Amino acid sequence: MPYDDLRSFLDTLDKEGQLLRITDEVLPEPDLAAAANAAGRIGEGAPALYFDNVTGFTDARIALNVHGSWRNHALALGLPAATSVKDQVEEFARRWDAFPVAPERREDAPWRENTQEGADVDLFDVLPLFRLNDGDGGFYLDKAAVVSRDPDDPDHFGKQNVGTYRLEVIGRDRLAIQPVPVHDVALHLKAAESRDEDLPIAITLGNDPVTTIVAGMPMGYDRSEYEMAGALRGAPAPIATAPLTGFDVPWGSEVVIEGVIEGRKRQIEGPFGEFTGHYSGGRRMPVVRIDRISYRTNPVFESLYLGMPWTEVDYLVGPNTCVPLLKQLRAEFPEVQAVNAMYTHGLAVIISTKKRYGGFAKAVGMRAMTTPHGLGYVAQVILVDEDVDPFDLPQVMWAMSSKVNPKDDVVIIPNLSVLELAPAATPAGITSKMIIDATTPVSPDNRGNFSTPVRDLPETKEWIGRLTSMLAKR
Amino acid sequence: MICPRCAHDALDTLAHSPVPGVWDVLQCTRCLYTWRTTEPERRTRREAYPVQFRLTQEDIDNAIEVPAVPPLNAG
Ligand SMILES: [Zn+2]
Repeated sequence: MPYDDLRSFLDTLDKEGQLLRITDEVLPEPDLAAAANAAGRIGEGAPALYFDNVTGFTDARIALNVHGSWRNHALALGLPAATSVKDQVEEFARRWDAFPVAPERREDAPWRENTQEGADVDLFDVLPLFRLNDGDGGFYLDKAAVVSRDPDDPDHFGKQNVGTYRLEVIGRDRLAIQPVPVHDVALHLKAAESRDEDLPIAITLGNDPVTTIVAGMPMGYDRSEYEMAGALRGAPAPIATAPLTGFDVPWGSEVVIEGVIEGRKRQIEGPFGEFTGHYSGGRRMPVVRIDRISYRTNPVFESLYLGMPWTEVDYLVGPNTCVPLLKQLRAEFPEVQAVNAMYTHGLAVIISTKKRYGGFAKAVGMRAMTTPHGLGYVAQVILVDEDVDPFDLPQVMWAMSSKVNPKDDVVIIPNLSVLELAPAATPAGITSKMIIDATTPVSPDNRGNFSTPVRDLPETKEWIGRLTSMLAKR
Repeated sequence: MICPRCAHDALDTLAHSPVPGVWDVLQCTRCLYTWRTTEPERRTRREAYPVQFRLTQEDIDNAIEVPAVPPLNAG
């Protein structure tokens, strides 16, 4: 049932009617990005897109929007395509509890079929690279899983990181990389650069769909993404040893790029139309030198369009951001019911919680801001009661409009940390953060007049079922 | 031809189209802007390149480092 590579997942998407093959000739720009941009505007049933007839290329194979709808996200986890968002997040949280599931090492990785080394390395020869947004500084690899190790503890399997970082192609064998300071690869790079060393890395493209999900998931520093992939798959994740770095990489990748981040060097990078719906300007960023590329015969280039939300990245990192926050909050506050962190990777978060005593919901909001992910995101938290579904925005707006007394329920804390990409931050990396407590006050916080809410009629639940099945039979 | 983004006149060719003569991928040696010759004019021609995305040598020199290079370990 779990997918060991991208190709087997594309086959399933095809069978489920969730892969659209575009056989007409298209221009690499602006057609590829525009088509994927359009897929993000279709809604929750949008298909993945597959192109193999691109002007000027002889054998391009490009997959876009692979995770770009709730149906595709459900299928990636091996769930029925119609699984609701709330149920997908709950199932994700349930499988999380199986962590860690040890990976399975295999020798016969298909990406061993072809190799480029040293002076022969040419990314343009292996991949049909193309631009996404008008103002982007160049062509990007934006859906890779980047593997690095802690230079101070290289044999620690859990500290080996698998993460998604934006990579700009700045030469045939050169990339610029953006290690966001709160992310693990930035810690690895800092350790290497403090010793005046390069940081070896492996960059894997076209991965099985769960590897891509865990690579974009905020996890504890010493927790293995491969062991989490095993838990989410319900079966060990297949891994293989990368030939140059010796790092553990997915067995099923289409392309494995190995090299180093050159220590203590920065070069101009960007701008790039980011997940925030804004360009991040040109900045001086670390540079990757590629020493070896291993790739499957006829590799599929998987890429991701992002720009003004919602785009594929929101479906990809939405659920996987909700679950760590939910688990970390519940560890100390079991009253927490559900967490919706799907807006701009959790810059805004909605949490439903029971109240232990007056003031408790605000404490939950503050805790969300001090989780590892919250330190770099979670700039606005809305707290709602336990009977409000935080994924149901009309319910959330009802709570905001009826429960909030702004003077008492809006708390603003100045000068906290946020990722530098947050457009509202000033200076970059610093922002104020806000808690909106839209829960019903409980004793001893005796305020307002909330004693007589209207409840759904006892018969309503049955009628929801009757109406739903009548609609399904139309 | 000059760089659409910074008007620099030293360009590299990073790639030729696998089907000969359809397009090239060019790169500015100063600002590293990279484009395919078949892209729309707003991405390939200096006159049409949007003002808000243009870069100068000063912009490049003053761009912040992300992440900052850390101090070397003593000893
Ligand atoms: Zn330039």
